[in-house]
Amino acid sequence: MSDELDEIQAIFFEECAEGLAVAEEGLSAMAGGDVSAETIAGVFRAVHSIKGGSGAFGHAALLAFSHRFENVLDEVRAGKIAPTAGVTKALLSAFDILSDHVGAAQGKNDTPDDAAVAAELDRILEAKGAGDAPAPAAEVPAAAPAEPDADEFGFVPVAAEIEFDPFGFEPVGVSLEDLDGGPAAPADWTIRFRPSRAAMANGAEPMLVVRELEELGGRVTAVDCSTLPELRDLDPEEAYLGWTLRVPGNVAEEAVRECFDFVAPDAVIEIERAAAEAQDAEIAPVEADGEAAVVAAAPVAVAAPAREMPERSGETAAQTIRVDLTKLDMLLNLVGELVIRGSILADRLSPRDQERVELPELARLTREIQDNVMSLRAQPIRQAFSRVPRMLRDLSSETGKQIVLETTGEMTEVDKGVIEKIGDPLTHMIRNAVDHGIESAAERAAAGKPAEGTIRLSAEQKGARIFIRVADDGKGIDRERVRAKAVEKGIISADAVLSNEEIDQLICAPGFSTAATISNISGRGVGMDVVRSNVEALGGRVEIQSVPGEGTTFTMALPLTLAILDGMIVRFADQRFVLPLPNVIEAVRPEPGQVQPMTPTTEVIELRGAYLPVKRLSEMFGLAANDRRSAEDSLVIIVESEAGSVGLMVDTIDDRREVVIKSLDENLHPIRGIGGATILGDGSIALILDVDALLAGANLGNTKYAHKGIAA
Amino acid sequence: MTNTVETIAAAERKIVTFTLGQQVFGIDMKSLIEIREWEEPTPLPSVPAYIRGVTNLRGTVVPVVGLSERLGWQPSVLHARSCILVVKIAGKQAGFLVDEVRDIIPIQESDVQPAPEVEIGEQDVIAGLVQVPTKAHGAAAENDSGTMVLLLDLEALRVTQHLDLAA
Repeated sequence: MSDELDEIQAIFFEECAEGLAVAEEGLSAMAGGDVSAETIAGVFRAVHSIKGGSGAFGHAALLAFSHRFENVLDEVRAGKIAPTAGVTKALLSAFDILSDHVGAAQGKNDTPDDAAVAAELDRILEAKGAGDAPAPAAEVPAAAPAEPDADEFGFVPVAAEIEFDPFGFEPVGVSLEDLDGGPAAPADWTIRFRPSRAAMANGAEPMLVVRELEELGGRVTAVDCSTLPELRDLDPEEAYLGWTLRVPGNVAEEAVRECFDFVAPDAVIEIERAAAEAQDAEIAPVEADGEAAVVAAAPVAVAAPAREMPERSGETAAQTIRVDLTKLDMLLNLVGELVIRGSILADRLSPRDQERVELPELARLTREIQDNVMSLRAQPIRQAFSRVPRMLRDLSSETGKQIVLETTGEMTEVDKGVIEKIGDPLTHMIRNAVDHGIESAAERAAAGKPAEGTIRLSAEQKGARIFIRVADDGKGIDRERVRAKAVEKGIISADAVLSNEEIDQLICAPGFSTAATISNISGRGVGMDVVRSNVEALGGRVEIQSVPGEGTTFTMALPLTLAILDGMIVRFADQRFVLPLPNVIEAVRPEPGQVQPMTPTTEVIELRGAYLPVKRLSEMFGLAANDRRSAEDSLVIIVESEAGSVGLMVDTIDDRREVVIKSLDENLHPIRGIGGATILGDGSIALILDVDALLAGANLGNTKYAHKGIAA
Repeated sequence: MTNTVETIAAAERKIVTFTLGQQVFGIDMKSLIEIREWEEPTPLPSVPAYIRGVTNLRGTVVPVVGLSERLGWQPSVLHARSCILVVKIAGKQAGFLVDEVRDIIPIQESDVQPAPEVEIGEQDVIAGLVQVPTKAHGAAAENDSGTMVLLLDLEALRVTQHLDLAA
């Protein structure tokens, strides 16, 4: 039982995280001057849904604070509190506290001290009435104002707000026409409610809902018992009854909706203003079957649009569903298996038989399914970008620099695994841009630049890669200083000749930091080297472009997915292996004498006048060591690794293709030099070589390499 | 009477028996995922010799262990009835090469004897001994004293953990 509760709680926290992200985005937009009704309503809904769940799980502190926060937001939304810069600032601080409260509820941090912020919220709430003294909130239904008046911010209270509900059911909007007739006496609410089996299983208690509605002045006008079966067919876990209630029109829609806060989303909940003429007809008390039939018909129609996600900042709403990642992975595995079985079948059937059983068609469908399953893991990169505005605010207040953020391409889709892992590198790049790139306002003014620095954050997809850029319009990389620092740190020798690009790359060297004083921001003992190593671990690379006086651009080029690798299938020791293509420079068929022994156990290859070490892969792996092929019968693949360029000797190259990476340590343990495995078309397994680990391992204890490793 | 039946049912468990050479072994049915035909796995570098390699189990890469070697007996000789028992141990999957799968039999917890203390390399790998009726090929077998089954504790075998140490 407690497990189940934990599970539901986990979903709640997941929703909290989403809600916080939405709220943060909205508040950032508000701070940036976007005080449109949509944005404000978005923040309100996010906080409202956090509040809804926190009560259910008994997180009292979170509930109390989010309630207070929500109250203020509600007033802002209703146009009663102007979203001035001061108010927005207070809301931002409230957001910080709310995040901390959520963290505390999860046991991640201590319960924050919210007294000051809470007091500030209360003050704002109280001060609002001073000017225009509107009617008390309870008396004004959210949907009531007959004459929406634009205020100085161009914020028009929207009469019939489409309310987002934390549990995701789609409310029925009220059209303005309904109100035209008599705004003085809004039509009564007609509420139809039929809990689903799932709702009952989750412990929804219909009577509590009905009672709550009755407390609002509602009364039951009909009970739908049309689906009630014979007694012997009665399933005690099934919900058979539906209710129709009438609630006075002056009750706020939100109040009605809150009664349903804890009813599962697939229950039928329909809330609408009764049309004037229908009012009398339906008011007839509980009738038998005739009434029931009418009610029974309605739920089907309403249930369909349920679970629509809220529209966020104008993008088109899409229906979504939350799926456990492991289930997706399982699906991916199954489809992979299907593809493999398909190609086995293709091998066993003659071309004519293949046509007869429509194998090509089957193969096409299977591929399409595979592509689609892959795309299920894709998520817009905005998830990773969403924390940046907040970070910039903090950085801005720490450094006193003014920064404007411009974001493009945030809807670019990337594999979820990639999104999770670019967070840290992105954070470092932004910190770096603020700390080292953008100058102080005074310096900027002196250089004839606007006082506000600009950071452009962008994402775009090109082929199988995604490019994420962080560009600042700061002073650019001070190459003299970088160079001096690198010499001082022993990273390069004093007489080294380096191109501008090479100097720029130095800032990614381990242990390099140009910050003259260790600041609060970058003085964490880590820097751009972390960015580089993280990005490389993802199979990507970092590029730096810098123009003195104009700014610096960092580009992360990343694979779209971590699940697929572009590889070269090579063969040695009668086994197939996958060599990651990014490591491969060229393949050489050695001429006699081109590969020569250097010591009894080592060989070198002469390539355009340079000598590179050659490794026999079959010997490195201890496979078929006695079967020593002559170099002329082999191929030497020149690969690039952190240890420099090395030739790897293999028997042949079979193919070049994209392979699905399967982890070895899922069922075994990591093996040095093996990055994973993949399943080939015939169902057999090929091991994926991890070139860096392979060569680093081979050179272990080699002081020359160790030194170079530090310098790299 | 009813009571007794229930008690027995609670103490009963099913094991799958198989042979490695002349010995009969048993593992708990609950750990078994499936039994597969022998298929040559893909060899792995830098692993102990008893790891025969990895194989593709419906899209998952699973190690194949020569159980006989793992237990210190002679390596299994492959033949037509050689097969792989795919099991789940502590969340990880592994395939064990065995000579022949024999039977699925219920045993009583009370019939399991602890393994006598002998000098074995590893403790607890053999969780216990149990006697099962010899397969009745003829009526003559009825008076037989039965076959000794060595119950393996897969957790104690720690194939995957063992490998971690070996790596």
